Amino acid sequence: MLVYVLRRLLVTIPVLIAATFFTFVLVDASGDPLQELRFAVPPVPEETIQARAEQLYLDRPTIERYWLWLTGVGNSRGDIGILQGKWGPSTQGAMDIGQEISERFLITLRLVAAATLFALGLAVVTGVISAVKQYSLTDNVLTFFGFLGLAMPTFWLAALVKEAGIWANQNLGTNFATLGATSPLYYRMEGWEAFMDVVLHLVLPTLTLMLTGYAAISRYQRASMLEVLNSDYIRLARAKGLRNRVVMRRHALRTALIPVVTLAALTVSAALTGAVITETVFRWRGLGTFLTQSIAQYDAFAVMAFLVISGVLVVGANLIADLLYGVLDPRIRYD
Amino acid sequence: MVTDPWPDTDLLLTVEDLTVEFPTDDGIVQAVRGVSYELRRGEVLGIVGESGSGKSVSSLAVMGLLPKTARISGSAKLQGRELLGLSDAELSKVRGNKIAMIFQDPLTSLSPVYTIGYQLAEAVLAHRDVPKEKAWDRAVELLDIVGIPNPEQRANSYPHELSGGMRQRVVIAIAMANDPDVIIADEPTTALDVTVQAQVMEALNSARQETGAAMILITHDLGVVAGTVDRVCVMYAGKLVETGAVDQVFYGPRMPYTLGLLGSLPRLDATRSHRLTPIVGTPPSLVNLPSGCPFSPRCPIVQPICIQEEPELFSVGVDGQLAACHFHERLIGAQPVDLFPPTTIDEELVASYEDAGQDDAAPEETT
Repeated sequence: MLVYVLRRLLVTIPVLIAATFFTFVLVDASGDPLQELRFAVPPVPEETIQARAEQLYLDRPTIERYWLWLTGVGNSRGDIGILQGKWGPSTQGAMDIGQEISERFLITLRLVAAATLFALGLAVVTGVISAVKQYSLTDNVLTFFGFLGLAMPTFWLAALVKEAGIWANQNLGTNFATLGATSPLYYRMEGWEAFMDVVLHLVLPTLTLMLTGYAAISRYQRASMLEVLNSDYIRLARAKGLRNRVVMRRHALRTALIPVVTLAALTVSAALTGAVITETVFRWRGLGTFLTQSIAQYDAFAVMAFLVISGVLVVGANLIADLLYGVLDPRIRYD
Repeated sequence: MVTDPWPDTDLLLTVEDLTVEFPTDDGIVQAVRGVSYELRRGEVLGIVGESGSGKSVSSLAVMGLLPKTARISGSAKLQGRELLGLSDAELSKVRGNKIAMIFQDPLTSLSPVYTIGYQLAEAVLAHRDVPKEKAWDRAVELLDIVGIPNPEQRANSYPHELSGGMRQRVVIAIAMANDPDVIIADEPTTALDVTVQAQVMEALNSARQETGAAMILITHDLGVVAGTVDRVCVMYAGKLVETGAVDQVFYGPRMPYTLGLLGSLPRLDATRSHRLTPIVGTPPSLVNLPSGCPFSPRCPIVQPICIQEEPELFSVGVDGQLAACHFHERLIGAQPVDLFPPTTIDEELVASYEDAGQDDAAPEETT
């Protein structure tokens, strides 16, 4: 088991290196972070630009910069090298990438975790209901909304949810927040008030992000459950004289959950992608907006920081899913 | 020879005029069309017929294991108590307790995520209020009875760690768990190797001896039927077409279909020149049955009356042998070769298939 985990982690290293390298090259090729300085009016002295370029390591070739970013070996300033825990300088003023990303990470984690949990829970329940009552009105309605969710692009769904939230606030007396992860005065709140502030800000973005993930999982859960329900061992379980409830819970659901576990891991990465769009629409100061801002500022090291964080998250989620798979299904053994 | 030595009080299972229909997009599938049979204590009843003849569906209907879309009518009484129409909760008290069932494919009949000991103990606990350890002991004991070596250790195995024959023995052990009165075995050996089939039949026999249960053996393997059963029902297109004591039916079949089935069975004691006599054509569609006798399109002695009128089961012999053929009297002493053309010249046979509208059915050389 431990050997398996170590082997899996070793395999992810080249994947992460390849992913970061290609992204680095792409961001680097997308534009010049210093163009604002170069074309500033009144003109900025050449020495200033040169100094800024040196500070950002822009005076070195791309490959060397990637090497620097990865190891930090070959310079004396000691502010770069991800393997040493240093994120590198940012093009966005004096921003400290490490501090910025750790603040934003917690904010995004809140959204992604809530959305993934709700999406999974709801999807398993409705998927199972759909399968047990196949072709009933309930199934058809759920199927309709499932496909609707699959078909809707996140940015549009986010806009609709936001509109719906505003409408509800005006007509139903609800108090959903439509902008930001917290109120401007959050830093002054305490206890229950602070908690409710976070929750009210979470509702609409979570709903958006949840619906996109939910649709796919519920379809998958339905198919998986149907396959199990039509299997011979369910028929034998019924032939043994087990009550329907026991057959459903102990034999059908238990087995039908196994393939969904894999999908749940993929949902985490899908939620991270969705968070980029959702955070933009709801103006959250999270990882998603961090990424879009950094791309707009040609901030290669900041984009890399996002990539490392999300990469570790996705790899971790997949590893947990695979280990869970082994726990749920005795046919799979890691040794 | 079985000649009704048991009084009627020994009647375990009485199925009367059982009908099962499935509404589908193409129309109503008439899977079972009025089947009646009886099962007495200690008896083995064989139900034979080809795929789609309704033999499995009729027993699944008795167990209440058909999908909800099935429309079932008629009557199935277990020791005088009507089973059809019982709620699922009430039926679950009968299933596995009074009637147990063994299914065709042992590879898929057991849940992949629980040990076989757990699945056996579960069957015991479903009907008995005993401690879990007692149920586990019973599971080990059952595994021993069906001939699984090292039952204590094997009880902790998962199904994927066992061979097909072993798994079918586990399924048989599950069926025995609560000493049922009736065991329905639905093609118990079909999915297995020929070498393993005999062992599984043996396990089935010891299950029967151990529990004293009567058995319904559903199969299309006439060899299995001949060696095991007391009475046999031949099904075709959702109906019984012939029934009686096994010797009667095998040595004096009075329905052309039974005769054809026997003629298509390879025999070890036959000479090399002995040819099989296949039945030309395929079974009719259960959505759109032909008028009159359902076998008439394939029958070599078909007459106009066969197309107009579906024959009922006529009493044709001493031992309660019944046959659904207008011309059952003509079949006294008939041999398969008298009715069906043997596979003498393959070209001729292929041509006859094409005449019957079967372009793709090229029979194999069978000597």
